[in-house]
Amino acid sequence: MAEITVRNLHKEFGLGEDKVVALEDVNLEVSGHAFVSIVGASGCGKSTLLNILSGIETPTSGSVGITQDGKPADAGYVFQAARLLPWRSVMDNMLFVQKDRSDETRQRCQRYLEMVQLGDKGSKYPGELSGGMQQRVGIARAFSTEPDVLFMDEPFSHLDAITARTLRSELHSIWAETGKTVMFVTHDVGEAVELSDRILVFAKGGRLADDRKIELPFPRDVADQTVAIAKADVFRTFEEIGALAVS
Amino acid sequence: MTAVLDRPNAPAPAPRKPKRSVGRFLRSSLSGRLTFPLVVLATWLLSIQLVTAIWPFTVDVLPTPWQVGEFMWGEIRGDTLAPYNLYETFGISLRRLAVGMAIAIALGTVIGVAMGLSKSVNAFFNDWVVAILAMPNLAWALFASLAFGFGNTGPILTVVLTGIPFVIINVREGVRNTPSDLFDMARAFDVPRRDVIRHVLIPSLMPFLFAASRYAFALGWKGLVVAEVFGGQDGAGWTIKFWYDAHRAHGVVGYALFFVIFALVFEKFMFDQLSKRLFKWRPEVNGPEVVEQAFDPAAQAAAAGSSTTSAALESINQTTLGPPTEREPREAETRSKNDG
Repeated sequence: MAEITVRNLHKEFGLGEDKVVALEDVNLEVSGHAFVSIVGASGCGKSTLLNILSGIETPTSGSVGITQDGKPADAGYVFQAARLLPWRSVMDNMLFVQKDRSDETRQRCQRYLEMVQLGDKGSKYPGELSGGMQQRVGIARAFSTEPDVLFMDEPFSHLDAITARTLRSELHSIWAETGKTVMFVTHDVGEAVELSDRILVFAKGGRLADDRKIELPFPRDVADQTVAIAKADVFRTFEEIGALAVS
Repeated sequence: MTAVLDRPNAPAPAPRKPKRSVGRFLRSSLSGRLTFPLVVLATWLLSIQLVTAIWPFTVDVLPTPWQVGEFMWGEIRGDTLAPYNLYETFGISLRRLAVGMAIAIALGTVIGVAMGLSKSVNAFFNDWVVAILAMPNLAWALFASLAFGFGNTGPILTVVLTGIPFVIINVREGVRNTPSDLFDMARAFDVPRRDVIRHVLIPSLMPFLFAASRYAFALGWKGLVVAEVFGGQDGAGWTIKFWYDAHRAHGVVGYALFFVIFALVFEKFMFDQLSKRLFKWRPEVNGPEVVEQAFDPAAQAAAAGSSTTSAALESINQTTLGPPTEREPREAETRSKNDG
């Protein structure tokens, strides 16, 4: 079982007058098969939290730990942009993040490419694919390492509505099947309510302002009344936090 | 009435086709390219007629295209009055160019990487790189032949000094523009350092290094000839001077043409092929037309409606930074640098 622990996490950028506090005293625990969404206005430290959890950035103070049954866990990351190596084919991009290049690994990569309906595009270069297709490769790449924990930073925000919708439901069924821990950053409250069983709301200044469970059955339809109510509820919290931030 | 209406539709397709393809041929870049040598040849013959009509004694000095052609054919067959034949001569020059470029690329890469990584190293070298860039290679050639006498050292040193600023500047820009988002991605997936260097860092530097070699080759080749004229006992530059001393104008023109042809063949068959192989991942560079545009300042100027200088700069940017769509943030940076 994957476990994420965040203790007194503090992160600031710059020095002196340019100093910006990205995260302030964040405490958090996530464990097991969970889909946790992190919402908040831009610049409230959502992505910074993910970057620290995945080891791209280091905290100013405090600690984070990601374990799988007591051992350090493997993590996958889906970025806002696909971040593919433009000089490598789609399949080579998938293989770039794998621990080995065995036939078994290749087959697994191929399976995940098929999952995002790009099974026939393995030999193409990223520049030959549309933006939506590239993003799907990015998603397939993150899943293909079969990580214990999956970090996703607004993975659907650059996609058209229909592609985003399809991928959202695919993501949800994969999560339901595989029992992974997902940390999902988004600014779209509707998306968060549709997908997650827990929502963290961040306020300006990098404070964790609200932590709630969404206990509604899946699959959730955004048009459904209970889902709409939950969504309105998160928005209300948003407004309250916004008021706090101004005063 | 009906006849008028029918006319555009009925007999048109069959006879029009060849006409249209002729028109397309006339408008194509190929016809322009084929016409140019003809215009040059006509101008050449006409001006000889004109000049010899006014000053009849010049008939011995001005070579006709046939004389030059005969000379070149003789050289190609290895039949020459010079101490070395064409192949030996170009072999000697090519060896010097290769050694000089190898030193320029190796040394330039080391200095460029250091300049890209460290502000103080950058400050240490920066003004001197600009100074070397501004120095005419004639000055290097003269200095090198004074200092090292006749032989290989002078010409090689000239090639190194002519080429190295381009390598340094390009590699520095390459290091400054390394794709940090891809490095972050690799770190998030725990990709080993060796793989990151091999699959992310080196490929991201390749376009910069490639553009640098291309410029270093074109300018180093010219610098080499100048150095051989002053400080050589053999090689292409020295042989041009040999024919000059022998008062054989067709030899000078013919050898200069060999020199140009050699540079063009190298450019077309080595750099273009290499570029196609190295950068086949860039969808925009796949077609030969696009490659041409990127290195054709005149076409750039026509498209942008700006001066040739800025077009040349743009073509440098194209080679170093890739097609415009891929480099919005970098472009702004380059622009402000050009202003400053």
